[in-house]
Amino acid sequence: MKPLRNFLVKSLEIFLVSAFTALTLDVLWGVFTRHVLASPSRWTEELAIYLLIWVSLLGAGLTYEEKGHLGVDYFVGKLHPDARRLGSIFVELVVLFFAGFGLLYGGWELVTKTLAAGQITPALGWQKGYLYTAVPIAGVFFTLFSVEHLFEIFRKKADEKELSANKEVDV
Amino acid sequence: MDAQVLILLVVFFGLLVMHVPIAVCIAVATIVTILSLGDVPTAYIVSQKISSGIGSFPLLAIPFFVLSGVLMGEGGMARRLMDFANSVVGRFHGGLAYVNTMTCMMFGAISGSAAAAVSSIGGFMIPEMERKNYSREFSVALTTASATTGLLIPPSNIMIVYAVVAGNVSVAGLFLGGIMPGVTMGLLIMGACFLMNRGKQVGSGDVASLKQVLVSFGHALPSLLLVFIVIGGILGGVFSATEASAVAVLYALILGVIIYREVAIKDLPRILLKASKTTSIVMILVGTSQAMGWVLAYEQIPQTVSSALLAISENKIVILLIINLLLLVVGTFMDMTPAVLIFTPILLPVVTRLGIEPVHFGILMIANLCIGLCTPPVGTCLFIGCGVGKTTIAKVVPPLIPIFVAMTIGLMLITYVSGLSTWLPGLFGL
Repeated sequence: MKPLRNFLVKSLEIFLVSAFTALTLDVLWGVFTRHVLASPSRWTEELAIYLLIWVSLLGAGLTYEEKGHLGVDYFVGKLHPDARRLGSIFVELVVLFFAGFGLLYGGWELVTKTLAAGQITPALGWQKGYLYTAVPIAGVFFTLFSVEHLFEIFRKKADEKELSANKEVDV
Repeated sequence: MDAQVLILLVVFFGLLVMHVPIAVCIAVATIVTILSLGDVPTAYIVSQKISSGIGSFPLLAIPFFVLSGVLMGEGGMARRLMDFANSVVGRFHGGLAYVNTMTCMMFGAISGSAAAAVSSIGGFMIPEMERKNYSREFSVALTTASATTGLLIPPSNIMIVYAVVAGNVSVAGLFLGGIMPGVTMGLLIMGACFLMNRGKQVGSGDVASLKQVLVSFGHALPSLLLVFIVIGGILGGVFSATEASAVAVLYALILGVIIYREVAIKDLPRILLKASKTTSIVMILVGTSQAMGWVLAYEQIPQTVSSALLAISENKIVILLIINLLLLVVGTFMDMTPAVLIFTPILLPVVTRLGIEPVHFGILMIANLCIGLCTPPVGTCLFIGCGVGKTTIAKVVPPLIPIFVAMTIGLMLITYVSGLSTWLPGLFGL
């Protein structure tokens, strides 16, 4: 379990750092070509949009591993620890449904239908269907990390500190 | 209200109180509602709306402003801003309180994060204020409240989120529109400090000569310039908001890595990772909200809510009061981004029918939700403030109440004096 988790987290981290770097350079290059070279590049905006989708969706997967997504923890905080433990199992099941039905199945439909329609991006000429694979891939990560959380819940008693896991971002 | 609306509400709130991540609450409530319509390719629609909702060029400004904010906040910016504020307002009786507020306003605006402002400024201002006889609880309450004003002063990611969900609202207009309300809030908080510290033996900052003021301004200027580059660039028609945000990243990099040398190259992966996680938290909410927007529009929910609210009253003052009360309650439990994403599509049609401008409503909403960031039971900034100041929420509440009153007065001004948020954008024809 642990080595697999570490491998997934590390891979996601490397991906995010590289993609975010590429995103920054891409948009800056777009600014440069428009203002300095005075011949705006057509593909930078397009690439940026897909990089944003990948960073956001895969980043969301990694953030879920750390339970960093925003939620309202006030009410479950009032519960008895045992009830809270049941509650966190319920949360994981809901997330599994979202990941399985919305991201994996829905994403698969999105990819195959878009590929079947043969849609390509105007400037780069890439198959849009392949670019949308970010959705089902995010679904895989959400599923894996949710299963990991379930294992953790079953292995130990309800964890107090999880309730306030991520309070450092205000968004 | 028909069955689908009920399903959407019950599933959403049911999951929300169970501490399901809000983005997942939105997505699952949407999925269940669409499924109940029958014969619609639910999963396809949801995943398509999520990806197309995220993939928009205006939203790209968010990761870049997050990144430039983290980069700027890394080094000694907090100190330099504090020195400048100290030289300007430190001299007065109870001056350190004003220094705190002014520093938070500048830091919050540049970093775009009230949480970062609380931890960075609070980290040294709270001990410093304690040394000069301010109660620690007062300092925590003050830092927490002051930090939120930075979210009204541009650049501000929440404004980009609002512009995208509201549709057809100019980011530049919102950026300009937030300046006067943000400053008003800051001044009102300072006013509350003046009243609270009257006759108390609390210390001031330094008395600075004009030369010292100029020198400290010179030191703070490179950081403050970020705001001017962004606003000036957008207003001058040089950049779009997205381009301006990327330029802000470049500027922050040059400043942090080359000029101040406060950011080492080896720190960059950690900073990029942090920024991409924050980005993903916002974007997954935006994506799922766009999916829910599809259901809302399909079910004509905004129209239903409009009619219901306007049936209570057609009076602008009354409706705005109801909306403010609703948002204040929402804000105590929910963070800003999800609240803006969920309530903008529902409430904006109501207020536009009453002739309120989208820019004005956006600023009002953000100012309102800022108050929620520092009120119990769930206030992100309050939690961080209590952590930094090593105190408890219960102890911070008494000194927070007068500041809260000041912020509420500010909110009322922003709500009922539309010129505060629309005059400046109007000057530039936005």
